[in-house]
Amino acid sequence: MNKKLVIRLLGALLLIEAACMVPSLLIALIYRDPEDAPAIVWSILLMLAFGLPMHLLPRGNTAQNLHAKDGFAVVGLGWIMMSVFGGLPFYFSHLLPTFVDAVFESVSGFTTTGASVLTDFERPLHGVIFWRSFTHWIGGMGVLVLTLALLPKLTGRTAHLVRAESPGPTLSKLLPKMGDSAKVLYLIYAALTVVMIAALMICGLSPYDAAVHAMGTAGTGGFSNYGSSVGAFNSLAVEVVITVFMLLFAVNFGLYYRMLLGDWKSVVRNEEIKWFLCIVAAAMLILAVLILPVYHSFGAALRYASFNVATVISTTGYAIADYNLWPAAAKMIIVLLMFIGGCVSSTGGGMKVMRIIILLKAARREVRHTFQPRNVQKIRMDGRGLEEDAVYQIVTFSVVYMLLVLFGAFLVSLDGHFDLETNLTAALTCVSNVGPGLGAVGPAGSFSGYSPYAKVILSLLMLSGRLEMFPMLVLLHPKLWQKF
Amino acid sequence: MRIMLVGAGKVGRTVAEYLTREEHEVTVIDSDEDVLRRCEDTLDVLCVHGNGANAQTLIDAAVDRADILIAATADDEINMLCCLIGKRLGAKFAIARIRDPQYNESLALLQRELDIDVAVNPERTTALEISQLLRFPFASNVETFAKGQIEMVEFRAQENDAVVGVPLHALPAKYPSMPRVLYAAVEREGKVIIPTGDFILRPGDRVYVTAEMMMITKFFRFLGKGSLRVRHLMILGGGRISYYLAKFVVPMGISVTMIELDEKKAARLSEELPHVNVLCGDGTSQELLEQEGLRDMDAMICLTDRDEENLMTGIYAVRQGVPKVIVKNNRDNYADIIASMGLDSVVSPRLITSSTILRHVRAEIGGAGTKVAKLYQLLGGKAEAMEFEVQPSAPCVGIPLRDLRMRPNTLVAVIARRGKVIVPGGNDHIEVGDRVIIMACESGISDLNEVISK
Repeated sequence: MNKKLVIRLLGALLLIEAACMVPSLLIALIYRDPEDAPAIVWSILLMLAFGLPMHLLPRGNTAQNLHAKDGFAVVGLGWIMMSVFGGLPFYFSHLLPTFVDAVFESVSGFTTTGASVLTDFERPLHGVIFWRSFTHWIGGMGVLVLTLALLPKLTGRTAHLVRAESPGPTLSKLLPKMGDSAKVLYLIYAALTVVMIAALMICGLSPYDAAVHAMGTAGTGGFSNYGSSVGAFNSLAVEVVITVFMLLFAVNFGLYYRMLLGDWKSVVRNEEIKWFLCIVAAAMLILAVLILPVYHSFGAALRYASFNVATVISTTGYAIADYNLWPAAAKMIIVLLMFIGGCVSSTGGGMKVMRIIILLKAARREVRHTFQPRNVQKIRMDGRGLEEDAVYQIVTFSVVYMLLVLFGAFLVSLDGHFDLETNLTAALTCVSNVGPGLGAVGPAGSFSGYSPYAKVILSLLMLSGRLEMFPMLVLLHPKLWQKF
Repeated sequence: MRIMLVGAGKVGRTVAEYLTREEHEVTVIDSDEDVLRRCEDTLDVLCVHGNGANAQTLIDAAVDRADILIAATADDEINMLCCLIGKRLGAKFAIARIRDPQYNESLALLQRELDIDVAVNPERTTALEISQLLRFPFASNVETFAKGQIEMVEFRAQENDAVVGVPLHALPAKYPSMPRVLYAAVEREGKVIIPTGDFILRPGDRVYVTAEMMMITKFFRFLGKGSLRVRHLMILGGGRISYYLAKFVVPMGISVTMIELDEKKAARLSEELPHVNVLCGDGTSQELLEQEGLRDMDAMICLTDRDEENLMTGIYAVRQGVPKVIVKNNRDNYADIIASMGLDSVVSPRLITSSTILRHVRAEIGGAGTKVAKLYQLLGGKAEAMEFEVQPSAPCVGIPLRDLRMRPNTLVAVIARRGKVIVPGGNDHIEVGDRVIIMACESGISDLNEVISK
């Protein structure tokens, strides 16, 4: 491993993170809450104190030769490091009691999970709360993608970095140059976010509330500055806007770029978006029927069903109702949607719709193969044949994903506080980056009941889920750290 | 500039590497997923999977927005078809690699009818380069500029050479009869240096000198290296380069012995090249080489498809005392090791092709200014020599060089003006119509204005 280069890049990452905290500092200066600005200033200073020497001190030829090994190390270590430093404002402002809580909240922010240990929403800390939602916004599209958009010359061979950070089985490059590609992605992302802020303000939200919820939606995170989440507004208009945008942000961003170019053909050819919309529509209807007994009118049932389907499949995790009170079949739909997640190259989490489609196609092929062994069939996606390697990778990914959820749930259960439903869905919701689970960690509950040990485990699960497991798992592989 | 590259083989990858280094937007099309994957991992390019001669693939890769389309697959036919379709679909400029000698004969017609702007023939260019080396056997590399008036020659400085151990500016005083040449670049320990007057050459340096053709000949005669003339030549391998090379050197009065392993190929060569002594046999066999009089050859050229065979046989020939040995080697990472074994003259069709393609790309970029007319990559691409024909619009015209600002690490090496060759000093100036040769320790210059400004 090229340690000098890795340290240099990690330093750059810290500096970018420090720069990302500046908007929160400005908010803090506007609202003039005590404890607010000092907490952010100290965090920025600490990041500079670590980031500058890390970025500037390593000498030698660091401009090139970023190999797969180094790329994974930068992504894995980088995300851990960012989360630890990103938690500082919560700790310094005493918003959260312990440092583990602060790091958990920050991991939950950057991974766009939105699982929170925060219980006290009354403290006036506008800047820190803004930072909490801002971590969703930068974590959604990816910090390394942002770094490449801002500093494309940082290093050669950037493919490994982006591949490790971007959701989806393939590296989706929109333009020949990685830097340009990253810029386009962030521009589309920022534009959609601004439109959403405007829409929420038209619905009557204050600019601050609108910004917090737009950032939470854009990253498909789910942090709110109210204890009862979006339910606090009790406004149908706000819910509709958030529902629409949650779904929009769970769509492959490459498609928006194609639309901007007027290339509708490749949008129509995209199988994933069609499946995604079908799944969403079907889940909304079925859920509405299932929860009809709880809400009595079909209109109300559809309102809660559609918001919850959008919030879970996009892995956002906003809440307007406590689905713990729903029938078991409805809860099962929520769990299934948690596995699926958004489309590839979106800000959504989960296993991704594309992988589910390919898994189903592979399963169907296997079934046919059992009774017609000589049949040769290539799995097709978007009208093109898929390499067997790619299919194999997706199958492996799915198995590892399931094992991670189950094993994670076991590790969390060792905590001994909660029941099976809570522990299992807590692990699932963290790996899929949704936010709330079922039982004690449901929309009305909080993760604050867990011990520090379980919070560390859940934090690692969130990071593994956001980085699609392998960048985190390679950190555990001894070969990564050995020279040969 | 948007560049579409079809075929990510050896040449394709090298071209893509230089183009991305020069900040172009490069899209690579190839039908092999593994090759593409490697491209994606190591280069900042957009990869598209598919057949480059398929219109749909080209449309998917947005060929209509491409400024330059480069077709460098292994098949001439695909390259031609790709350029034809690409141009119809809106590509502005098309470069195709066409190397079959049969197509070469009707190249002008093909280019016109298929709308190919530039046809690159790596084998022919490589053969041309080797034939130049045979004219200067003492040099390890020769390049001509300004329509052959100026030559740039690389040689390895040796212990007893007159130029070694004296600061360059003191040379004329020490040896008044030494012909004046310009020391354009020196490679020492893997680094390229553009020497100043205080520079002292050491034995083992690779030195590039440039001057008029006659001057160069006189210079090497002064150094005592100009006596050798190639009369008998042995070529190992009967590929396309060998074919073209034989075509070039037979008229120069050189007798050629060519060894080819494949019987059918050997038969066809003997049919196409009646004046060449074609042998069918294993050219790596020392017995065969000795039988055919390797020791008495003036030069041995190894051009088989396998780099290792070329190198090993080349080293054997050096040990047998053949005065001039040239080997083909496409892998530039071994350059230093090869040089240390006594093989100075190494030709790489891959590098030759990529620098030809790059020159055309840069000439397209140049726009209104003074474009690159010839590009030569020295020392495996670590330095470049560029020729510019000065246009009336150039701002540096008529101003003494002393008063102009030069880009760092560049040098105005030679100026060719109306048949005269000037090795410029501070008082000289550039005129319209001059051909100026610039040395640079970097890559990516496409316009004279980037080098010299007021």
